Amino acid sequence: MPYHTFKCSECIPERAMHAVIKGPGEDLTSCLPLGYLNTIPGTISERGCAFCGAKHVIGAPMKDVIHLCHGPVGCTYDTWHTKRYISDNDNFQLKYAWATDMKEKHVVFGAEKLLKQNIIDCFKAFPNIKRMSIYQTCASALIGDDINAIAKKVMDEMPDVDIFVCNAPGFGGPSQSGGHHKINIAWVDQKVGTFEPEITSKYVINYVGDYNIQGDVEIMVDYFRRMGIQVLSTFTGNGSYDDLRGMHLAHLNVLECARSSEYICNELRKRYGIPRLDIDGFGFEPLSASLMKVAMFFGLEKEAQSIINEETARWKPELDWYAKRLKGKRICLWPGGSKLWHWAHVIEEEMGVKVVSVYSKFGHQGDFEKGVARCSEGALAIDDPNELEGLEAMEMLKPDIILTGVRPGEVSKKMRIPYLNIHAYHNGPYKGFEGWVRLARDLYNAIYSPIHQLSGVDISKDEMPTDKGFLTRRMISDVNIIEDETTPSSERPYTGECDIVSKLRGKTYPGSPIQLGSQQQLQLDSQQQLDGTV
Amino acid sequence: MDDIMKDRIEQLVDYIMKWCLWQFHSRAWDREKQNEGILTKTMQLLCEEPVDLETPADRCYWVDAVFLAKGFKNTYPWLATMDKKEIKLLMQGLKDRIDYLTIKGSLNKELTNPLY
Amino acid sequence: MSCELKQRERGGIINPIFTCQPCGAQYASIGIKDCIAIVHGGQGCVMFVRMLFAQHFKDSFEIASSSVHEDGAVFGALKRVEEAVDVLLMRYPHVKVVPIITTCSTEIIGDDIDGLIRKLKQGLLKEKYAGREIYLIPIHAPSFKGSMVSGYDAAVHDLVSAFAKKDKPNGKLNLITGWVNPGDVTALKHLLSEMDVDATVLFEIESFDSPLMPDKSGVSHGSTTVEDLIGTADALGTIALNKYEGRKAAEFLERKFNVPAIIGPTPIGIRNTDTFLQNVKKMTGKPIPESLVRERGIAIDALTDLTHMFFADKRVAIYGNPDLVIGLAEFCLDLEMKPVILLLGDDNQAYQNDPRIKAFQEKVDFDMRVIMNADLWELENRIKNKEVELDLILGHSKGRWTAIDNNIPMVRVGFPTFDRAGLYRHPVVGYAGAIWLAEQMANTLFTDMEYKKDREWLLNVW
Repeated sequence: MPYHTFKCSECIPERAMHAVIKGPGEDLTSCLPLGYLNTIPGTISERGCAFCGAKHVIGAPMKDVIHLCHGPVGCTYDTWHTKRYISDNDNFQLKYAWATDMKEKHVVFGAEKLLKQNIIDCFKAFPNIKRMSIYQTCASALIGDDINAIAKKVMDEMPDVDIFVCNAPGFGGPSQSGGHHKINIAWVDQKVGTFEPEITSKYVINYVGDYNIQGDVEIMVDYFRRMGIQVLSTFTGNGSYDDLRGMHLAHLNVLECARSSEYICNELRKRYGIPRLDIDGFGFEPLSASLMKVAMFFGLEKEAQSIINEETARWKPELDWYAKRLKGKRICLWPGGSKLWHWAHVIEEEMGVKVVSVYSKFGHQGDFEKGVARCSEGALAIDDPNELEGLEAMEMLKPDIILTGVRPGEVSKKMRIPYLNIHAYHNGPYKGFEGWVRLARDLYNAIYSPIHQLSGVDISKDEMPTDKGFLTRRMISDVNIIEDETTPSSERPYTGECDIVSKLRGKTYPGSPIQLGSQQQLQLDSQQQLDGTV
Repeated sequence: MDDIMKDRIEQLVDYIMKWCLWQFHSRAWDREKQNEGILTKTMQLLCEEPVDLETPADRCYWVDAVFLAKGFKNTYPWLATMDKKEIKLLMQGLKDRIDYLTIKGSLNKELTNPLY
Repeated sequence: MSCELKQRERGGIINPIFTCQPCGAQYASIGIKDCIAIVHGGQGCVMFVRMLFAQHFKDSFEIASSSVHEDGAVFGALKRVEEAVDVLLMRYPHVKVVPIITTCSTEIIGDDIDGLIRKLKQGLLKEKYAGREIYLIPIHAPSFKGSMVSGYDAAVHDLVSAFAKKDKPNGKLNLITGWVNPGDVTALKHLLSEMDVDATVLFEIESFDSPLMPDKSGVSHGSTTVEDLIGTADALGTIALNKYEGRKAAEFLERKFNVPAIIGPTPIGIRNTDTFLQNVKKMTGKPIPESLVRERGIAIDALTDLTHMFFADKRVAIYGNPDLVIGLAEFCLDLEMKPVILLLGDDNQAYQNDPRIKAFQEKVDFDMRVIMNADLWELENRIKNKEVELDLILGHSKGRWTAIDNNIPMVRVGFPTFDRAGLYRHPVVGYAGAIWLAEQMANTLFTDMEYKKDREWLLNVW
């Protein structure tokens, strides 16, 4: 039986089916943890709330919007200065947070008047912003304020503004994922189809499920634009409200994080016939395949191949340099929802590391199907992990590094296991060819840190050399590396700059012909593609 | 079905599981369409038969099928030793197995939820 | 020339100065040894607060959630608390103190945690955990009242009142520090130890700054014990340094156990530290030693080199916890600076009657404004429309964009200070704190002068 019971959770037998160890001969029909169930109270789970999933993850990256939380101040404060979703709009969405500041009297008498006045005040304070998203919180949900009605009233009174309402209070679901779901459905119900952005290319996609952490979206959009594709909207990293109202006009939805936004892709397929293409933007092979698949859909293979060749030639020698030194290192992939499966296989293939555990804080069984499918035998997969289980897993597996969030990373730090922040990243972005090398570089720097070496020395007991003034990372990492004539001369550590995103802004791209009629043009091209591509 | 065929199917399953995402949409009926769409086209490509590219959905299945066919050919040299009849049998077996792993035998309780 | 009191007139908040009550209650709870609080509400109420603490301290703290989901919100969620208590106690055998902190959602749905705790004491604790020392403490902290400041104040009161029990006088001084950093506690304990005063410090948070040990045993948690809390009733006196973060507890001890209380002042700066030491002397009868005269002298020596040369007439904005803001403003005045705007981040009506603020109104001889129920938009707006011109901002890290985008140098103080390294290790109180603050302000101004090429040659010869 693949199920794994932690010693610290023997007293809560319900946990028994939430962790599996992938054994030989196991497949998904026998080896899959339960997922996305109500949290067991008091476990010190890693999970957050549905409001977080809705506002913080998906809503707030939209860069030209006032994000107003209808409730007491805490929900707003807590979702401000806690993520790195940057934008090319001078990071407007990082700098400001708005709350209606519900107080006790509002709980008793209702807060609809407060909300209406707030909406007007906010638009007045930011006269250049004409779009707003209002987020329900636990408090405003429980007192039954009709936010949608108020929003509609204001839109009637102020015809140049548009307001989106997201009703995803914190208690609405077992985890953040409940919020992702609600905001996806709310956006497609309320806003998709209400605006038609300008179409500037024959080839139009939405890029969905990427939140532009440290510039991830901008890296990917750059590739698409270099091929002549119009990225009509990005859901929602560096995303614009009005562009996202036009999602229905795209030919294809390119989906990165299925966990947070497969819902809207499914609905767009159902309602508008737009196909959903799931991609992996991480790793040279998967990224190359993903770019090529998108290109093939439009007949742009040559353009994609040229990008893939150029990027691979530039960055592969650097990836290989790190892979040589990361070989065999044991890592725990402990993210929130989708990176466990984006990375489980390719990080082993391309960086030589061994994934000894995957977990998901808020994911569903679908995420574990993907994760367990991709991870190696022996890996421990945990659903809804909690603090004691994480500690026990680290003791058991003795990883060399944990890929997780800030706070669990501080826990692992005390266990003398370095961590890499894969929610907000250390020195990202990590998307793209160069980004993948940056990830490898950060892993290398963390694992081979001379300070990390020193942390294991007990000066009251241990013998220490007294003739060493310092160690370098290479002195530590290259102990068993032989560099000889067989070593490719191009292999080298990372030579990119610190900031690789700013230079993409204001870049010009090859012009692409304006589309004639999207579906007809597509069929015309299809006929021409019938042979010669395999 | 003989053991060699079964073993080969498992190898192809392993490839799909390691590299592909198209088989893991969130509902059973979508998985049926995905598996049918992509594996049929993959089979057609491997057998050098014409592939229907009429609708956007077809094109979307096709791009994944192209990569799958290419990946199979590059990774499994025994594929080149098989004739069209054998390949069709192989791919039918593969589809049955993928359908079983991702739909009929799946432990994912959300597959039958009627809403997205 | 006067000090004006104003209220935020807008109904909503743009860029909050504070978060809500449960955060304050949780901050009090982590100061106690063998204590893990259960926050009764949505998971975000705990996850975000643990994240905030981790940002500030670069370490993780243990707090649990009752994980209220949809069914709980509809039908009541007391069962979730019951289960949380049981699960927590089973899996953490060393835990003794379990504060149960309510949030807006569970206050609105009306969950009676006091009643539940009574039930658990008679039921679960007797049946399953007989013989184990366990204390369940209800703390009501809905987010639609007050702020993290009042949540902290309420929690300190609830924790002290739950434990304090009269036995024999212990000759100790209760020191209720208010919302401070580990560095502050170190400085305060140093002052008390120089005066040979035995104190119960609430809360002992020096251990928040925990080491990375070769045997992996380092962990961040507070060190105040149950015995410490019980013994507060036997003290010879209580000094609550921050009126808005601990006064309630001090007054409780005075009312119930005749433990005399002195409230304030926050010992920021030379003058307030002098006052603090006088109060300690008054309460304990211990003299102020020569060593502290020397320490004070070192501080005054350091400040003298800075005040009339660099600090005089510098216009400062200060925001954050109220006692911190007031204490910093008083110190700035002593340093010849001009705190032209103070922002107090919640709607506590007591601020306008605070004698320290009245003193600003009466004595200050330049334009000063105190904004109550403020948010950071109140500051940013006034900068943008030039109502205030600033040379320096003193505040926490969530105001960083105001400083960055308006090119105003900022010294991070208060909570949270995550965008600078190690600030929690340093004091702002006591003579050590006066030196640290003054030198931080000076060096920040110096760096700014160099960036802006503003008489950067001045520092060639200083």
